Amino acid sequence: MRHEFFFLIKDRAALLWMTIAFISAMMAVLLGVSEVYQQRTALAELQKLDRVERELTLDAQSDWGNAAYYTFHLTYDPPSDFAFAAFGERDVSPWKHRIRMLALEGQIYETDADNPDFALIGRFDYSFVAALLTPLLIILLLYDLRSGELAAGRLNLIKTSAGQAKRVWLMRSTLRLGGLYLALLTPLWIGGVIEGTPTSTLLSASLALLIYTLFWGALVYLIANERRTGSANLTYLTGIWLLVCAVLPALLVLTVNKSVSLPNGGDIVLTQREAVNDAWDIPKDVTYKAFLERHPTWTDFTGWDGDKGFEWKWYYAFQQVGDQKAEALSQNYRKAREQRDALIGKASFISPASLLQRQLEKLAHTDMKASLAYEESIRDYHKQLRKWHYPRIFSNKPFSSDAALAEIPKYQNVLERK
Amino acid sequence: MTAIDVKDLKVERSGKAVLHGIRFSVQVGEVFALLGGNGAGKSTTLLTLLGFLPVAAGSVSLNGISPSANVKKIRDQVAYLPEAATLYPHLNAYENLGYFLSLSKLKLSKAELDATLEKVDLQTDARSQKMETYSKGMRQKVSIALALLRDTPILLLDEPTSGLDPVAIDEFNRLVRSLAAEGRTILMVTHDVYGACQVADRIGLLRGGELVGLFGSNEGQKIDTQTVHKAFTERTGAKRAVS
Ligand SMILES: Nc1ncnc2c1ncn2[C@@H]1O[C@H](COP(=O)(O)OP(=O)(O)O)[C@@H](O)[C@H]1O
Ligand SMILES: [Mg+2]
Repeated sequence: MRHEFFFLIKDRAALLWMTIAFISAMMAVLLGVSEVYQQRTALAELQKLDRVERELTLDAQSDWGNAAYYTFHLTYDPPSDFAFAAFGERDVSPWKHRIRMLALEGQIYETDADNPDFALIGRFDYSFVAALLTPLLIILLLYDLRSGELAAGRLNLIKTSAGQAKRVWLMRSTLRLGGLYLALLTPLWIGGVIEGTPTSTLLSASLALLIYTLFWGALVYLIANERRTGSANLTYLTGIWLLVCAVLPALLVLTVNKSVSLPNGGDIVLTQREAVNDAWDIPKDVTYKAFLERHPTWTDFTGWDGDKGFEWKWYYAFQQVGDQKAEALSQNYRKAREQRDALIGKASFISPASLLQRQLEKLAHTDMKASLAYEESIRDYHKQLRKWHYPRIFSNKPFSSDAALAEIPKYQNVLERK
Repeated sequence: MTAIDVKDLKVERSGKAVLHGIRFSVQVGEVFALLGGNGAGKSTTLLTLLGFLPVAAGSVSLNGISPSANVKKIRDQVAYLPEAATLYPHLNAYENLGYFLSLSKLKLSKAELDATLEKVDLQTDARSQKMETYSKGMRQKVSIALALLRDTPILLLDEPTSGLDPVAIDEFNRLVRSLAAEGRTILMVTHDVYGACQVADRIGLLRGGELVGLFGSNEGQKIDTQTVHKAFTERTGAKRAVS
């Protein structure tokens, strides 16, 4: 063992690959930490602006209808303490929305005019390094373990010296894998210390990476034998790497996307907006009928005051109806995304790279589940806003900007509620 | 007592018969040289003894053990000097010896390594330099030293003198004789007629995978170089002028 360790220390190529592993992992972590920092700064800034703007807006209002119309409310999904390691869905889905009391669905999917791409490889973050570079580095460390000795004319000498050379190969592989594992893990823990990641999260991530490293180590160990030349081994292994880390995940996503069709995010926006626009021209009692199905409480408040052409309560009723019209589409959209995600999750057992990435995203709360949860939290919050505003608008309560500032529900994120 | 026994050995490589039933044995304390031209099957014989190549027919045994029965036990008793042996170029002689000996679970002091490196006459100042700076002969000396340091009863040496200068060859031959005097059994493979006659108790002449001649020394008399040389050139069909 001591001799094998010494041997490794003298192995320039092995040390080089480990250094590269460390540098890439460190870069990914630093990038992640700085990205997360920027997101937090942006959110803090937005929260401050949100407050200031709301005060200014509300101060200038004289009735609840106008106040609700002009006031924006910030919702946000702050990065978790492990988000630095895996950007996941945060890369493709919004993590902040400023919403108003108007119809909501269009506001949520405004930026989703296209279907969100299911990030295949995604951005350069730690999960990318772990899932894609780790196997490649393992291949580079181990592909020539035996074939290289054969080519150098040492294989038989090693075998006769050791009696049974298996011990030698196992020791060499273990030390190399161990070195690589540490080179990849150290940056993660450094990131964890900076971010205050719970130890349990870091341990889970470390375990996932360990299993992944062992899986690839065993695979490369079994495939890279001395019956093939080093370059043949390398070719085989990089082929497998490409297949398992790129081709399979791509096929998987493609197949899942084909089999579960996703309604267009843009369609939801369109449906809801059309419903809202049409409402101006259709008889008011048609709108109210649809509205009251959900909110019978206000049955006695939908009378029309004389010949006024416009009333806020009617306006907000048809906003609500707009959401109702888009509801089915929106639910399908959500379900389809959930379904796709679940299918990919199941199928990713054929692609360990996807499996690891998904595990890290789960730990980082940057998976599809977290993204959908944020969307739901916006809907919940919007419901609260309506619930708070409707009595004031429908029963025409006198406006008070102080009451508004103090009492309008504030958005609270899942992470903050914990 | 027989240390190495080869009986009607047939070996195939890549489906082609390479050894066609050779038979010889080496006694304990004896130096046996397997002499032959390129491709005669000398290395193949050693590789088969070490269990690297399967026996197609016949049998081989070292100290009564067949490689197919217990290859580890054989390798524990045998030091092997591979043909064109190269140790790790990025390590120096001490590091290489230390590493390879550690594979055999041996740990020797620097003084012990130096004593053997002295025997093979490797320059003192070269010993702590990386082996990539060595000449072929210097590398060969370290490999020989490694075989000696294993301190095994049997040594299988594949072209041990290749790359050595005449002085070094003489010293090597003396070394081999002293090992035999200690009771070690040496089977060496060579195409060097003169060297073989110098050092061997017996010589087996191998040609095209067949043992075509056996020469033995009598009462301490060296084998007659001329006789062997004549047999070697004739029987191996070495090129003769055809004009
Ligand atoms: N790896 C191999 N695969 C197939 N045939 C081989 C291999 N190595 C050697 N041979 C063949 O076996 C024969 C004997 O080779 P070898 O024992 O190396 O000869 P020597 O050591 O006497 O020069 C030669 O004909 C050679 O072509
Ligand atoms: Mg040979």
